[in-house]
Amino acid sequence: MAAPAISAAFLAAFVEVVEAFTIVLVVATLRGWRPALLGVGAALAVLALTVVILGPLLSLIPIAPLTLVIGVLSLVFGMGWLRKASLRAAGVIPLHDEDAEFARQSRVLQAETQGSSTQDWIAGIAAFKAVLLEGLEVAFIVIAVGSGRGLLWPASIGALVACALVLVIGAIAHKPLSRVPENTLKLVVGVMLSSFGVFWIGEGLGVDWPGGDAILFVFAALFLATGLGTAQVLRVPRPDAAR
Amino acid sequence: MTILRDVARGLTKMFLADAAMTAALLAVVAAAAGLIHLAGVPPLVGGGALLAGCLVVLAVSLRSAANRARK
Repeated sequence: MAAPAISAAFLAAFVEVVEAFTIVLVVATLRGWRPALLGVGAALAVLALTVVILGPLLSLIPIAPLTLVIGVLSLVFGMGWLRKASLRAAGVIPLHDEDAEFARQSRVLQAETQGSSTQDWIAGIAAFKAVLLEGLEVAFIVIAVGSGRGLLWPASIGALVACALVLVIGAIAHKPLSRVPENTLKLVVGVMLSSFGVFWIGEGLGVDWPGGDAILFVFAALFLATGLGTAQVLRVPRPDAAR
Repeated sequence: MTILRDVARGLTKMFLADAAMTAALLAVVAAAAGLIHLAGVPPLVGGGALLAGCLVVLAVSLRSAANRARK
């Protein structure tokens, strides 16, 4: 169970931090690194405070209802990612494009700061919101995959390694990380969280799954086959595919 | 206040990106719980129904999203 949980936390954090990094880079490019880093620092402090407050509370909840609730939340969240990634794979909705996002966020920030006397403040808030929102998703995933089996620390380390990796790559590249296969990662994490969700809901309801943790691979294969299989059936030809 | 509103919106979007799919998944979980704890069905059968229900919800949700996009 440890390896899938750590992998899920690592991959999910990688996807989220890449998205947050794009906005932080917009702020740094337009207003400098000072407001960007102040926003990031403030968001990380709020996230740390949230985890420090909520973490001990989780240990007070009996394991059976906790497993069921975490299972339901994992399933709903994971299926959301799996659905979105499958729709992107089918060409129904466009793929996420970090370069386009960088351009869009730059326009938004320029419009917001134009004529304002508190430009750095507004830019810092933009970085703060981006890191906080993406960070909350990472914190949820870490809690979801880690709390059921006492794997909170390994899952947290997996997420932190992903954060560090993105920051190092981003600092070297100094541009949006548009070559990260965001949709594939999202699909994999969606499959993993959906599988964990079904497994834990079952356990919470008293199901003794045959094969124990190993049945997660069967669940993952079924979710992957359903997502990609349906995407294949619904596939819309991309405009650039005809060229 | 804008920050709080954006955070609340972000948290809601995490679980309610597609409200119909979320509702369908909760119904599947409730049905599986009902099968096991009210109808007395063996837990493993209820677990199988849970898994099958989730896969059906995924396929139906994808199909309806694709149909909506084509209209």
